[in-house]
Amino acid sequence: MLPESPPAAEQQLVARLRAQDESAMTEFYDKYSAALYGVILRIVRREEEAEDVLQEAMVKIWHSFQSYDASKGRLFTWVLNVCRNLAIDKIRSRQYRVSSHSQPLDESPAERQPAVDSFRPEHIGLQELTRRLNPEQRQIVDLLYFEGYTQSEVADELNMPLGTVKTRARAAIKVLSTLIR
Amino acid sequence: MNIEEYIESGQLELYALQQLSPAEAAEVERLAAEHPPIRAELISVQRALGLYAEAHALTPPAGLRERVLSGFQQAIQPQSAAEPATPTEPAAPYIAPAAPHYEAAPAETVVRTLPAAEAGSGFRWLAIAASVALLLSLGANWLFYSRWQQSENQLVLAQAKEQLYAAATQAVEKRLATRTEELGILRDEQFRMVVMTGTPQAPGARARVMYNPVSRRVYVDVKNLPAAPSGKQYQLWALDKGKPVDAGMLAQTTAVGDSLQRMKDVASAQAFAVTLEDAGGHPTPTMAALTVMGQML
Repeated sequence: MLPESPPAAEQQLVARLRAQDESAMTEFYDKYSAALYGVILRIVRREEEAEDVLQEAMVKIWHSFQSYDASKGRLFTWVLNVCRNLAIDKIRSRQYRVSSHSQPLDESPAERQPAVDSFRPEHIGLQELTRRLNPEQRQIVDLLYFEGYTQSEVADELNMPLGTVKTRARAAIKVLSTLIR
Repeated sequence: MNIEEYIESGQLELYALQQLSPAEAAEVERLAAEHPPIRAELISVQRALGLYAEAHALTPPAGLRERVLSGFQQAIQPQSAAEPATPTEPAAPYIAPAAPHYEAAPAETVVRTLPAAEAGSGFRWLAIAASVALLLSLGANWLFYSRWQQSENQLVLAQAKEQLYAAATQAVEKRLATRTEELGILRDEQFRMVVMTGTPQAPGARARVMYNPVSRRVYVDVKNLPAAPSGKQYQLWALDKGKPVDAGMLAQTTAVGDSLQRMKDVASAQAFAVTLEDAGGHPTPTMAALTVMGQML
């Protein structure tokens, strides 16, 4: 099964970004900001920092756009990784500065505000996802994806062999995949 | 290679989660390019993660759109003016424009491996700023060093001066003590003043003796004595019932009238006289060389 090629709108946006058309970034923002902001906020947990990271990410995406290879995957996957990396860098540098100020997750604004504006038709809410993933699976994905943990850190944290981290991550993502169809 | 096994291994998931080393990630990309089933699975994994990310989507607060977009415009403006649409190398791996977060890779590497003009320019500015800071620092070092040297020299000078002052003060204190003593003698009522006047050999010569019969102390104060020829020295005599008693030699400074000089103690005297003797003195006065003489009143 080969994946379908990206929609024409995405191809157009990519072409404009590659041509360094600044107005394309406005369209980019309108299309992706909610998803990117949500992920960034989930990682950094502070609204001002999330805003900074989002802006940094826009600049980084703009300047490094030539390194995006559409044949290897969707634009969203690529920009998501740019944002995740910047956000994780942010919390890592913060951990060096102050370790005591991190907010607990349930106080994070991400938990209070409703998710809106999806650009994907198959969008599923967080409630639905958490219902489908069992707690162990969700924990592993969250640690790896949102907390900036390495696999070995996860293995240490959850006191399990490295191989188990790998198979649980696969199992969790498999569950997520089934929700797309 | 067994493609099924590879797909089941979980390596693709780790790739999508950016948990692989650059070498491992490159391996995944190579296999995905070679084997369509691996590529399809990889894209499916990425979509699944995208879905999970999207489930966290959240409309940014009001005003953020304007701030971020204008901040973005500002951030890219200098670069787009300086180097319009410079293509950056498209060689970076697809999934990770930044190095994957695997193992203990420091967060910083993630930013630096991005072949982004912004990052490069940021580094350039940092380098320029660092160079300027270094130059300023060198200038400041030189300035501080020369000032320090200057201060060192001034300190040495000041210390030398202070020693001079200390020595001068000591001398002054010594002289003050002398003068205080002299004043004490002059004001002391027990002291008897004996004025000695010049003999026919030295008509202009004048000197005084202060004598305290109780304490037996004798001081001599020269007003005017002819300069002693070399090898000669003035000697004071106390005359007790006509008999001369040696009262000591006058120092050169005393002879020229600089200050009072304490002489040998004298038990009893009715008159004093000064003769010019050979340096070091003589047991008996040379009457021919009698210069001044005076009776106690």
